[in-house]
Amino acid sequence: MRALSADHDDVEVLAAVADGDRPALRVLYDRHAPWLALRLARRCADPGLVEETIQDTFVAIWRGAGRYKGQGDVGAWIWGIAIRRLIDALRRQPRRQILVAEVDDRPSAEEEILLGVEYGDLGGALQRLSPQLRAVVQATVLDGLTSREAGRLLGIPAGTVKTRMMRARAQLREELA
Amino acid sequence: MSWHVQSELLERYARGDADGAQAFSVEAHLPSCPQCRGQIAALVDGAVLQGAWEGIEERLDAPRRGPVETALMRAGVSEHVARLLGATPALRLSWLLACALVLAFAAWAASRHDGGVYWFLVLAPLLPLAGVAVAYGPDVDPTYEVGLAAPMRSFGLLLIRALAVLVTTTAMAAIAALALDGLHWSAAAWLAPSLGLTLASLALATRMSALAACASLGALWMLAAGVGWHLAREPLVLFGAAGQVTCALVAAIAAFVLARNADSIERRGGMA
Repeated sequence: MRALSADHDDVEVLAAVADGDRPALRVLYDRHAPWLALRLARRCADPGLVEETIQDTFVAIWRGAGRYKGQGDVGAWIWGIAIRRLIDALRRQPRRQILVAEVDDRPSAEEEILLGVEYGDLGGALQRLSPQLRAVVQATVLDGLTSREAGRLLGIPAGTVKTRMMRARAQLREELA
Repeated sequence: MSWHVQSELLERYARGDADGAQAFSVEAHLPSCPQCRGQIAALVDGAVLQGAWEGIEERLDAPRRGPVETALMRAGVSEHVARLLGATPALRLSWLLACALVLAFAAWAASRHDGGVYWFLVLAPLLPLAGVAVAYGPDVDPTYEVGLAAPMRSFGLLLIRALAVLVTTTAMAAIAALALDGLHWSAAAWLAPSLGLTLASLALATRMSALAACASLGALWMLAAGVGWHLAREPLVLFGAAGQVTCALVAAIAAFVLARNADSIERRGGMA
């Protein structure tokens, strides 16, 4: 087994992990666990569940490193595993602790935002989405989840994810037009 | 990559203070940028990550649970008992499959010949006996050494495994008996002999190895079956009222001997 260092990129390290190289897993962990922890913490308020998800993720990587087919960034591949492990972990927990919880769904808050629209920048437009709509955009666009997975993560039905995504899209389109 | 997240924004993101749109761009960027990942790694609590890593190593080093162990834990059996039972040689899938095959064959034979049910009845009590023979001991148990050091008493382990073996083989034999043509009292006649033989083997195992105890009892049982048939010219004589009472009696005596000798098994550190 070759010694791994900072010179080896993620693809090479992952190949070593697939060969059963435990130190290589540690290298991968040191590189990716920190940002995973931060990103997961933004989606789950329970630190214990975040830690459990990180562990599940790297155990899954250890057993399934050979499944990486060289398409896309290793970081994105790892995130795909992590977010689905988080959904699994949330499903095992009867009491859900989600950062963006299902709050009241009054349309008035959104209408207020829509009335105040005068700008055309994407950042601002995203910012003015209601927290519920932004959570759905985050789960489907940024995290790459299906409507069903996003629904499980956010604790809402898949149909609600779809309608909220449509509303978010309409709002963004209108603001950026 | 030419574009990178500003250090100030990375710090705010790590603190959880970045607003939605800013966090979006940080999160979209990090998976593909080793440089920014390295920068943000310094902002995360290392102790928490080290703790999580130790948990990962522990899980990678732990033996993976077999199907029996997983099923037992689902059913609410505590982890250490599930592991001890899961390691029972006679609860391996190969063993259970072999038992099922033998029973299926016996049931098939019983349905094809008039005397077939007799062979089924002779065979059914032998299965739990054979299971107990390989339930615990230095020759057959991969966890034997571990078991000696475990905080559980050897006798307790032996009993719990024998019980598990008895329950599984009896359940399988019962299913096979239901498949016999024309449900009759005789389909249940193997229950008392089965219990008697198993308990007797456990009692004998306080004096000799489990393997030898089970083998000699099995041979004795077959001999009794053959002689009974020959003398009485009636295949089911062994399973009549007298036979059932004898078996129950043997079971009771064996249970008594077993209870009195529990300590001797204990002192010898199992059935060596």
